[in-house]
Amino acid sequence: MLQFDQVSKSYPGGFVALDRISFRLEKGEMAFLTGHSGAGKSTLLKLISLIERPSAGRVLINDIELSRIKRSQIPYVRRDVGIIFQNHRLLMNHTVFDNVALPLVIEGFTGKEMVKRVHAALDKVGLLDKVRCLPATLSGGEQQRVGIARAVVNKPPLLLADEPTGNLDPDLSKDTMRVFEAFNQVGVSVLVATHDLGLVARMKYRTLTLKQGRMINDGLLQYQEPV
Amino acid sequence: MSILFTGRATGAAAKKIGLLRRFIMFWLNHARQAVASLGELWRTPSASILTIAVLGVSLTLPATLHLLVKNMQQISSSFTQAAEISLYIRDQTPANQVQSLVTILQADRDIAQVIFVSKQQAMTEFQAISGFGAALNYLDSNPLPDLIRVLPKNTAPQAAETLLERLSAERVVEFAKLDIDWLTRLNAIVSMLQQAVAIIALLLLSAVLLIVGNTIRLSIMNKKDEIEVMKLVGATDAFIQRPFLYTGVWFGIFGGLLAFLVVELMLWWLQSAISNVTALYQSDFSLKAMSFSEFLALLLIAVLLGLAGSYLSVRRHISAIEPTGP
Repeated sequence: MLQFDQVSKSYPGGFVALDRISFRLEKGEMAFLTGHSGAGKSTLLKLISLIERPSAGRVLINDIELSRIKRSQIPYVRRDVGIIFQNHRLLMNHTVFDNVALPLVIEGFTGKEMVKRVHAALDKVGLLDKVRCLPATLSGGEQQRVGIARAVVNKPPLLLADEPTGNLDPDLSKDTMRVFEAFNQVGVSVLVATHDLGLVARMKYRTLTLKQGRMINDGLLQYQEPV
Repeated sequence: MSILFTGRATGAAAKKIGLLRRFIMFWLNHARQAVASLGELWRTPSASILTIAVLGVSLTLPATLHLLVKNMQQISSSFTQAAEISLYIRDQTPANQVQSLVTILQADRDIAQVIFVSKQQAMTEFQAISGFGAALNYLDSNPLPDLIRVLPKNTAPQAAETLLERLSAERVVEFAKLDIDWLTRLNAIVSMLQQAVAIIALLLLSAVLLIVGNTIRLSIMNKKDEIEVMKLVGATDAFIQRPFLYTGVWFGIFGGLLAFLVVELMLWWLQSAISNVTALYQSDFSLKAMSFSEFLALLLIAVLLGLAGSYLSVRRHISAIEPTGP
């Protein structure tokens, strides 16, 4: 479903963020994307969500080349890709309900149908009782889960997450990953960028490892007991 | 419909709804967004009130000037009614010839009224109002001519002039006079005022455009983060700019209403002062207020300016905001 074909991305000044990356993510597959800070994880996700364009190579979703997508079509592509941000990027002066409902409002949902879907999404992340709260009154983990609910509320076939557990303690991190697993089990393709190697190894999913813009590992990561 | 995933029905279009229902929903959505924008203004009352006040004042001035010109025109049109041709009759003309001219003129289709003033009448009148009184008795003979005052039916300067030429060709008329200079001068002054008002109005209305544009620009800048998030979850520019356009429309509506109120207040304030002045001139002039259609025009102009100002701002600034990354 998602395919990278010899994709490179360099920024003005000569910094090479991604260097000839190639991989495929199948429909309904879940994978992790790991690597140190600055290894190119975020850049890779930005290429999928059309925040950035590649300098060379092709990014394809369902065999449609993203470079052929016109600027005016970008919003419609983003509706098919749920994105979860490290700093969750919620609208702080709107309620949890409004935040989660945003993608639905954009797509023209109204009334009961919208309320039903928002409640379903919040139920999946276990925050149904916080519907009327403002994000500022929630804990970091809860805010992150609101972000997840917003990303999945319109049931996108592809889900991207950038360091979703970056600010969470190990238990919360594990819960968050369970949420992603649950979505994956209903057929959503999931790509999670994280540097939490211990968690990744324990989850036993395909892992893509980046180092200085190059793909150095594609497959299961061996779990190493922390010393 | 999804671009990338064929067969994935997206959005509200996924649900099959009738055309009528979709039509109703379209307007319902717009009404909802309009109310939401109003709420947005309500939440920042001080900033909104300041902007509306500035708009109101900027719109009040052109509206007032328009009323000024309108009332000037009313006065000048009441003056053109008085456009009157004086026919001075040759000395020594027999009275019956004068009388027959009066009769002919009375039958003329271009003439509304004919008044004959004999030289004796003129003398008595002159003695009464000039203040020379007894001094005039020392004159050997009456030097004043007979006079026929003619009011033309068509009081436009051009038509009056034509009539003047025709009447001065009459044999017994020594000299015909139409005091038209002051009339053309007045008309020139009114049209100059009109143009000055148009220029000032243009300047002030463009000020309204710029004020709305700048206010909307500031509120876009304030919501930069929010706009980025909306773009990231797939909002089109059109969707993002709609609330700002509604804000511009609301600014227009409130600014226009404020201008109307200020103008009405000003008229009410000036009414008694003006009636004092006009009473001194023995004129039945009354100040013309804004008519309903003028009120609607004011409101329409205000709304269009608000919409245009916000549209200019939104076009430039919303597409410039691009999300920088997850």
